Amino acid sequence: MKLSRAILAVPAFFAAVSIAEAQTEVVWWDFLGGGDGVRMKSLIDEFNTSHPDIEIQATTLEWGVPFYTKVQTSAAIGEGPDMMTYHTSRIPLAVDSDVLSEITADDLAAMGLSESDFAPATWDAVQVGGAQYAIPFDTHPIVLYYNKEKLAAAGLIGDDGLPTGLDGIENFAAALQKLQEGGTEWSMSTFTASGNFQFRTIYSLLGQQDGEMLTDGEWLAGENKQKLANALKVVSDWVGDGHVPAYTEYPAAVALFTSGQAAMHINGVWEVPTMVDLQEKGELFEWGAIELPVFFDHPSTYSDSHSFAIPNNKDNPISAEKRAAVQAVISWMLENGLFWATAGHIPALNAVTESAEYKAMEPNATYAVLTQNAIFDPKSKFAGVASPMFEAAGNSFTASVNGEMEAGEAVDLMKDELDFLE
Amino acid sequence: MNRRSETTAALLLIAPFVAVYCWLFIYPTLQMVYLSFTNAPLIGPGEWTGLRNFERLFGDRTFKIAVWNTFYFVVLTVVPGTLVGLGIALMVNRLRGWMQSMILAAFFLPFILPVSVVYLVWNWMFDIQFGIAQYVIEPIVGEPVAVFRQKAWFMPAVALVTIWWTNGFNILLFLAGLRNISPEIYEAAELEGAGRWAVFRKITWPLIWPVTVLVLTIQLILQLKIFDQVYLFSLGGRTQTTMVLVQYIFQQAFVNNRGGYGATVALALFVIIIAFSVMQFQALRLRGER
Repeated sequence: MKLSRAILAVPAFFAAVSIAEAQTEVVWWDFLGGGDGVRMKSLIDEFNTSHPDIEIQATTLEWGVPFYTKVQTSAAIGEGPDMMTYHTSRIPLAVDSDVLSEITADDLAAMGLSESDFAPATWDAVQVGGAQYAIPFDTHPIVLYYNKEKLAAAGLIGDDGLPTGLDGIENFAAALQKLQEGGTEWSMSTFTASGNFQFRTIYSLLGQQDGEMLTDGEWLAGENKQKLANALKVVSDWVGDGHVPAYTEYPAAVALFTSGQAAMHINGVWEVPTMVDLQEKGELFEWGAIELPVFFDHPSTYSDSHSFAIPNNKDNPISAEKRAAVQAVISWMLENGLFWATAGHIPALNAVTESAEYKAMEPNATYAVLTQNAIFDPKSKFAGVASPMFEAAGNSFTASVNGEMEAGEAVDLMKDELDFLE
Repeated sequence: MNRRSETTAALLLIAPFVAVYCWLFIYPTLQMVYLSFTNAPLIGPGEWTGLRNFERLFGDRTFKIAVWNTFYFVVLTVVPGTLVGLGIALMVNRLRGWMQSMILAAFFLPFILPVSVVYLVWNWMFDIQFGIAQYVIEPIVGEPVAVFRQKAWFMPAVALVTIWWTNGFNILLFLAGLRNISPEIYEAAELEGAGRWAVFRKITWPLIWPVTVLVLTIQLILQLKIFDQVYLFSLGGRTQTTMVLVQYIFQQAFVNNRGGYGATVALALFVIIIAFSVMQFQALRLRGER
């Protein structure tokens, strides 16, 4: 890993030396290490080939806290990149620590973008305190993957070829029961070993009851505590009733589904390429992916978004020329979001998801409608991926989902921990 | 050369080291102490808040858990690790030639692995669905156990992994110590008809004691600073219940963006390590002088 970074740094060094040439360098950092990273690299290569005047110098860094710490420290001394990928859920913290350069109306005009090009929730997620700090590239929610053969055998596939009879807590539990009676070892698998991964499912279920994590600066105010406990109980009952295996690690949860030992699977859309690749090799059953069923009042799904942001490099602001190049990169990436959709992510630009090509992509087109019901993390510097709120979820939900703690007690513990933050 | 010019030369020669030491160690340490009295974020200055961070520290449940877990980990690793290292060294010492080199290499091999590899290997071995260690655990406990997700199992398992991983170095130190014991003493003991246990108790143990003190001291300081393994194995899980001190510093400063409070926890760890090292050194010295 270090060696490859060093190798990446060598051309960047020589490129910096030969800056006198007409080509504009755009130093790009991202955290995309998996299957989506491979796709992003081919997008970057394509951009570089088709734009002789701009050269993207891309470096991939470690996802999560390491990436965001590096961005924060390097922006503080003016050594950050020219642009980077950013989780929209991390933007409030970034704004609080002055890491991001505001995206102005001029930037948007130059890129030919406006609010109406994006889904409302996704657009809202990049706004903090009335200013915009990033351009959404995709929406990446969690979805319900299913084994079509097993669901059909249990009578859970409707006339339209999609799963049916899963809405409602009791109906879903009955469906889980039927699947297991049909001889499947587990009805469903998910990354139960990680409470902060489970936050995504539980937060979706909180949203289905119109609950909020943060209300006017207060964590789990009023009825929200009870609503969160309700949501947590749904998930812990799946495990407690023996439908979903406890303490399952991420790769094991995926393997249980792809090997046919679990009939359904809750995970991020980023696992779509895994399924597509396996099926192409003829190693996977008929499968699909849909929006999470409605357990409470209305559909609602946790989502985050990969966006593009420009760091606020202290005492070393980006030149107008570079900024123009960055704008060109971002608008090109957004327009070519269709290829990014093969990584499972839902492209942020409406024009892409409304295109005939995207509508022909399955299961992407089926679950893409959920962007209308997407909810993002609360806008707080304590929230977002790999944040203190995620840590708190890890502490409470890991114990409760796996049956070591009652839902109510776990929510109390979580509130205590969140209230202690400052 | 007179005494005065000798002193000047000495000062001149150590000056580069002292300058670098002050710049890279003393100055940052003082800065850290200063930081612990402010509400600084990870980057940039903060406001002076007096003893606020220290008051908070004493009311902080996670800090108490971290102190307790760190001590628990020290108890699980320092003395057991040293004893295991001595035991293996005694056995390896009885071997000769290429056989000794082979066995020694086998015990030393884990030590050169990076922590991420150690984590991946053991995480798979203990995996609740597919791990081979479950074939040992299941017959004993009656069901598969999520070793790195359940509080009671977490620290002992990480201690086991740590001893497996780092013991190669202790074995080397002990082996060097054992080779320093003159063979004539053993020959004399043999002539006197001393048994194996008597030889160990009266000769090997007292003569290896200085090395044992060294190993214990190194282990103690190292294990008080435990971070990587605990951090990796607890990732995504109940980090609060398995928190150790350095991990808490990392969490406060880098995850929660609170450099000031992180510095306060770091200062507390600094005091604990100094206190422990002094206590241990005194205790072991007394023992050695007996």
